[in-house]
Parts: sequence; C-alpha cells; structure tokens
Amino acid sequence: MRSKKWLGMLSSVGLPLLFGVVIFVLWQTQILHSWMGTDTITLPLPTRIGEIISQNNESIGSQIKMTLIVALGGLVAGSLLGYLIAVIATIFRKWGAGGLTIVSAFNAIPIVALAPVINNWTRDVSNEVSVRSTMAKIIVVTISCTAAMSVNAFRGLTELKPFSEDLMKSYAASKVTVFLKLRLPNSLPYVFTALRVSVPASVIGALVTEYFAEDTVGVGRQIRENIVKGQYPTAWAYIATACAIGIGMYIILMLVERAVLKRRRA
Amino acid sequence: MTNAKPAQKGFLPALKRFAHSKKMVTLVWILGIVVIWEIFAFIVAATKRTPVNVLPHLWEIIGSFFSDKKVTGKMTMIELIGTACGETLSRAGIGFLTGIVLGYILALLMNLSRVVEKIAFPYLMIIQMIPILGMAPIILSITGDINSARIVIAAILTFYPVSTNVLAGFRSVEREKHELMYSYAANKFQLYTKTLIPACIPYFFTGLKISAPMAITASILVDTLQGGNGLGCMLSQSLKGGMTRLVFWDIVLISAVIGILSFVLMGVIERLLCPYKRNRTSD
Repeated sequence: MRSKKWLGMLSSVGLPLLFGVVIFVLWQTQILHSWMGTDTITLPLPTRIGEIISQNNESIGSQIKMTLIVALGGLVAGSLLGYLIAVIATIFRKWGAGGLTIVSAFNAIPIVALAPVINNWTRDVSNEVSVRSTMAKIIVVTISCTAAMSVNAFRGLTELKPFSEDLMKSYAASKVTVFLKLRLPNSLPYVFTALRVSVPASVIGALVTEYFAEDTVGVGRQIRENIVKGQYPTAWAYIATACAIGIGMYIILMLVERAVLKRRRA
Repeated sequence: MTNAKPAQKGFLPALKRFAHSKKMVTLVWILGIVVIWEIFAFIVAATKRTPVNVLPHLWEIIGSFFSDKKVTGKMTMIELIGTACGETLSRAGIGFLTGIVLGYILALLMNLSRVVEKIAFPYLMIIQMIPILGMAPIILSITGDINSARIVIAAILTFYPVSTNVLAGFRSVEREKHELMYSYAANKFQLYTKTLIPACIPYFFTGLKISAPMAITASILVDTLQGGNGLGCMLSQSLKGGMTRLVFWDIVLISAVIGILSFVLMGVIERLLCPYKRNRTSD
C-alpha cells in the first residue's frame, strides 16, 4: 500500500516535470522553432533569456515595482469596492440584486475599451504624467476586479446555512449582530473564490492598461516597447517576469487562503 | 411561466406587477446610469474645452453611429464599424471554436487517462495564472500575421476555462451513476454518451461564459497592436487623431455591447440546448 502511494506521488510530480524538461530540450535544441516556423531571433533560447534577466535584474526590478503598485492597488480597491457593493445589495435586497446584474455586465466590457476612456478622465488630476497615469491604470484594474468580488460576496452574505437566520432571530439578535456573527464569517470562503478570479485578472489588467498609458513604464509596456524596437530577447525576459508575477501572486493567495480558512475551521 | 397568467385583469394591476418584477429593477438601474452619464456630460460640456474627448452626450455617440456622413473616403460610420466588427468577431469566433474543440478533447483525454491528467493538470493550473494577453505582442511577431495572432490568442484564452470546467463536470457525476451504468453492462462509449457528456453540459457553458468575452477582448487588443481593419485598429487610429473622436466612443460602446452580448448569447444557447436545466441552475 505504502509503496503504491509513493509511486502515485512520484508520478504526479515526475510526469509534469518530465514534460517540462522535454519542452525545454526541444526549445533549446531549436526543434520547437522548426515546428512553429520561427527563428531564434523572435523566439530566443531559454538560456539566452535567463542571461538577459540576470544581466538586467535591476531595471527589471524597478519595472516589476511599477506593475505591482498598479495590480495590487487595483486589486485592493476593487475588492473593497466589490465587497461594499455586496453589503449594500444585501441590505437593500430587491434593488441590490438587480444592481449586481448591472455590475456583472460591466465585467464583460473589454479592458481595451476601458483603458483609453479612463486615461481621458484622469488628464486633469495632476500635472505629473507618472501620477495621473498610475492613477488611471489603478482605476482600470479596480473596475476589472470589482464584479467578481461583489457577485461572490453577495452570495456569501445571503446563502446562509438553513435555519441559521431563524436561530439568530430566536436569540433576538439585531441586524448588526446577524451581519457580524453570521453573514460576515459565512462570506469568507466566497471572498477567496472571488480572489482566485481577480488576482490573475489584476495582473492582466495592469499589463494591458500599460499599453495605453501615457507613462511608458511597467512590465507590460516593456514587452511591447522592446518588440517594437526589435529586441526580442529583452521582451521575452519581461514576458518571463510577467508570468512569474502572475504565478507568485497566485501562490501567495493560496497560502493566505489556506492559513485563514484553516484557522476558521478549527 | 406563472407570470404569463395574470391574477387580475386590467391595465393598472399589470403595471403594478411590472413595477415589482425583476426586469423593472434592471431597467431602472440602466436608466439611472444613463441619467448620471448625461448629467456629467452636461457638466463636462460646460467646463471642458474639448468635451468630446472626455465625455460626449450619449445621443451624440448614437447619432454619429447612424449619420450618413462619410467618415473615411467612401464609408459611412455604420458601414465602417460593421466591417470592423465583422473582421474582429470572425477571428475571435474562429479562435473561440478552435479553443472549445481543443479544450473539450483535452478534458476527455484527461478523464480517460491518468497519465495525461497528471501531465496536463499542473500546466492547466499554471496557464490560468499567466497573463496571456500580456504576451499578445510576441505571439503577433511569432505568427507574423495579425489574423492568425488573433485566432491563436482567442483559442488559448478559450481553451483552458473550457478544459477545467468540462473536467470538473465529468468529475461531478456521482459514484452511484457510475455503478448503475456498470450494472447495465454499459461500455465506455455508452458511459460517456449517456452519462458523463450530458452531465458536463452546464459546466461546459460556465466555461464558455467566462471565455467568450475574453476571446473578444483578445481580438480587439491584438487589433490595436497593428494596422488593419479591426475594431481595435480603428480605436487606436481615432485616439491618434486619424478619425473623429466619436469613432472612438462608438467603438467603446460597441465593444462593451458585444462583450456583454457574447456572455448573454452563451446563456441563451445553454437554455436552448438543455431546457430542463432552466429551474435548477442559478447564475
């Protein structure tokens, strides 16, 4: 039994790893290039990309900082706003539920259309290009993170365990107590469901709005600028960075989720 | 269909019922948004030098859409946007369909073979965390052609939500149903066509609802990276001053509408395909 379990674990780590290694070898030996009909200029070898990253880690670091400010700022603002909307919708149930339909419709609006509009609106906020551009980017990310949170949090605040609301009523609990002791804790798992959607969305939002921003900073903008300049290895270095940001933020979310929900269950 | 049978006849009770219905709530919200937009548009028109850049009136946007003035050499606005829409949507559509087929096949393979699942599942998780849209410029330069780039990115973005959701659908089938099929001596083909595939349809559509607006966003984004006739190309041309600013607003409005419509369309198709789910699914 024990050896079988070991074999299972070994294969679930080993097989994907093996697949990754195969891809790496195909890439490095340029077999991948001939399959995709491309060359080492547009698709540089992994070792070359690694080289570029290690040579430029200082400037890449500063670009990461710019992108993280936008992604995290928008994520926090959007999630808080989304939760607030959900709370208001819970209080005014009938009108709130309809409002949530509208909010989730906003989610289907392409970021590409949103970014230039917000750029126009923030033009008068500050004379500093970097300030107003960062603000515009954060607003776009905020909007793209709001819907997921408000819809999920609303479900968490309203889909209670059967009879728990009646129990609270039998305690003569006030609405505030019901909210704090019942609804709020009940919504916690739903908040994490929302974050699993909006954390990757915030990174994507940050990268895409950078394309349209006045200020030419950030990881996403660097990908585009370097491709325009024909510096493909540098562009790939930034793509690798973008992927690392996405994966890193998701892993942090998983760790936080595990810590928070575990304590709650205990 | 209880709503169709009025309890009381007459105009006033009907109006009253409508005032309490869900549609009414949505309608009021939409009207509210329009009113707020217009109030701000009046403020902007009074205070800004170029109001059309910041917030034009809604009627100006809609009016420009239907006006018969020539925007470019020989096309009116509606023709221009029509062709651009067709261009962008057809590429997004091809990519979307490719993504659906590939995603479904992968989910099937993963459910049929443990080895495939063990190899592919971690990568499916990772691809969700990777900002694919951020890679749009490099995919454009690898494919070298804007049309294939649009298709490839739309396909990638469709592929993984479909795949993960369909797999979850296969897994949602209870043990008892498997045992029942076993007792019927059903073969693998029958097990899939009679039990697993019908069971995964709602999950499949959840995947489609996520990916349809994303495929359109992707297509428009790729447009903005290079010249051509897509919606995104016109968006960036208008921003640079190549056309009037109202073109920009038209496209913002149109892309918002088609984004929302694509989501709604998936729900409609779902209801047509499995009407028996109507009362049970709640999203």
